[in-house]
Amino acid sequence: MNGAERPYTLVAELTYRCPLRCAYCSNPTRLARRLPELATGEWQRVFGEASALGVVQLNLTGGEPLLRRDLEALVSSAAGLGLYVNLITSGVPLALDRAVQLARAGLDSVQISLQDVDSEGARRIAASAPLDQKLIAARAVKELGLALTVNVVLHRVNIDRLPELLELAVGLEPERIELANAQYLGWALLNQSSLLPSREQVETARVLAAAAREHLRGRIEVSYVAPDYHTGAPRPCMGGWARRHIVVSPDGLVLPCHAAHTIAGMHFDSVRDASLASIWRESEALNAFRGEGWMLDPCRSCERRMLDFGGCRCQSFHLTGDPRAADPACRLSPHHDRIAAARAVPSGSRRPLQLRTPSMSR
Amino acid sequence: MSGTDAPRSRSELEHWLKTESAARYHDTHPFHVAMHEGRLGRREIGVWIANRYYYQTRIPIKDALILAKSEDPAFRRSWARRLRDQDGERAGSGGLELWLRLGEAAGLEREAMISHALVLPDVRRACDAYVELVRDAALVEAVAASLTETLAPELMRQRIQAWQEHYAWLGADSVAYFRTRITNAERDGREALEFVLTNARTFEQQAACVRALVRKTEILWQLLDAVERACDRPQLARRARLLSDPMSGKRLLLYPENGLLLNGTAAEIVELCTGEIDVDQIVSLLSSRHAVERSVVEPGVRRMLDALRSRALLEVPRT
Repeated sequence: MNGAERPYTLVAELTYRCPLRCAYCSNPTRLARRLPELATGEWQRVFGEASALGVVQLNLTGGEPLLRRDLEALVSSAAGLGLYVNLITSGVPLALDRAVQLARAGLDSVQISLQDVDSEGARRIAASAPLDQKLIAARAVKELGLALTVNVVLHRVNIDRLPELLELAVGLEPERIELANAQYLGWALLNQSSLLPSREQVETARVLAAAAREHLRGRIEVSYVAPDYHTGAPRPCMGGWARRHIVVSPDGLVLPCHAAHTIAGMHFDSVRDASLASIWRESEALNAFRGEGWMLDPCRSCERRMLDFGGCRCQSFHLTGDPRAADPACRLSPHHDRIAAARAVPSGSRRPLQLRTPSMSR
Repeated sequence: MSGTDAPRSRSELEHWLKTESAARYHDTHPFHVAMHEGRLGRREIGVWIANRYYYQTRIPIKDALILAKSEDPAFRRSWARRLRDQDGERAGSGGLELWLRLGEAAGLEREAMISHALVLPDVRRACDAYVELVRDAALVEAVAASLTETLAPELMRQRIQAWQEHYAWLGADSVAYFRTRITNAERDGREALEFVLTNARTFEQQAACVRALVRKTEILWQLLDAVERACDRPQLARRARLLSDPMSGKRLLLYPENGLLLNGTAAEIVELCTGEIDVDQIVSLLSSRHAVERSVVEPGVRRMLDALRSRALLEVPRT
């Protein structure tokens, strides 16, 4: 590790438990080991160590972080450290009284996800994601003067309703609307043939998002994440491997992203065994793909190698078997035909959606 | 409005014109409200005077266009009085002269006002659109467009009171123009209304008159929109947090799930987004602080504010 790696954001995955069963979830489809979730005190120690490393943003996520009963205590200690505290939630179990407690504890912002324009659509993709509860949550967030982001993961099933989704989102008066195409990892990869939108759908969505960004400029920031399966260019995943973000899994693994522990053969260290600082500096797994020494062709001679960092290691592993390979989403990748094949799946051969199983929700 | 094409009676037409124009008149524009509540600073008053001067200079031109549309000596004799009112019987008198004096009282240079160097592009567009509207319209519609002046006397009364109370620094003579407008606009408005009620005979003509008047109210509103935008006092949104980064020593602007590491100038600009001063003053301040030309500072300030605005990190301008 050298001076180029300075973490700004700690992504604390407080739990893998979730009342929703989104078919596009990028959480692992199965876990190699299932250790208990970190306890309150352990998380508080991690927050302190992260702050000392230079972290200024804390994203409390999951799973569904609201399922942690100690969430208020966690928010409170993070706010005490001067961290900017963001809650990333489905909004489902968030009523006004809980929101008041969280705001009082020092929460700065809330990101609420919308699955579809109605509960019926949400049921198809997530088994249950009652829209009315989400709207109540969003209103509570606004009433308390917290910053609100509305997040919509786009895929073949909901992308044609983007105009209605935008209208619904704007009505909640957020400061930010995040329209992100699904990333095909975890459950999303399993369901990819049913979730990947067509090129026409993606193009329409891009145009609509650009128009909304222009129209709402100054009032609401609209961001749009294009699907790398269609752009021909890899995503600069997490701004580079173990460079700007630290992800800590529910059981304490220190990861460069939320899916890296699905790469076979990599060993990630746990905050239960060592300090965050020593892991950040010395972890073999975190150092594995830092810088550019690990790159293979075509990445190592590519002029964009320090802009996109060769794309997503997890995607490379899951589609090629080698995490060092160029992300197949890149048109220069020798494995780009896998992506092209995924795009070309005829609609008749699409498999039914396999929703995230609740077996993980211990 | 019913679906019928029968012409409206005089009183119906008068009511129609009044309701449409009163509903859209610029007296309720946020900038006007702020002015009359004494919330404008010296610079904002100056920006308004300089830009409104451009509107004043268009008035004799559109009145001359109206004159040229009429075949009736009596109408022309009467309407020509408006030209004399605005331009004066001799040099150094008339409405435009009074307006220039008002500008001087506000610290503006007469030459700068006359050259229109201070006029905002959107103000110029709005005022030119008024002249074009009058140029292209039939006589009765062109006259109808001027009927906003029936609402002017009441606004002038309020303004005189408000200015004497809140902007005494402009001096006692500053309201002289507004005073002349109370009597002139009353007389002119009455005359113009009488002309429209008499000469808009078919329903189509009447509807066209209403449309012209509505368009005129929009032009007045756009003028204030442009002035308000120019006087925008950027204020950092509440959810943005500015702090010193312990690792780099630089200023760090944090907002939901993201942040910007700021260089020295960017940090200075963000720190000046207090809602107290406008963009122009931010430029002036930085220009004198670093002893560089305004023209060097300004593009950077605009870019930074634009970057903040595109992230919705500036409060939406007051209403």
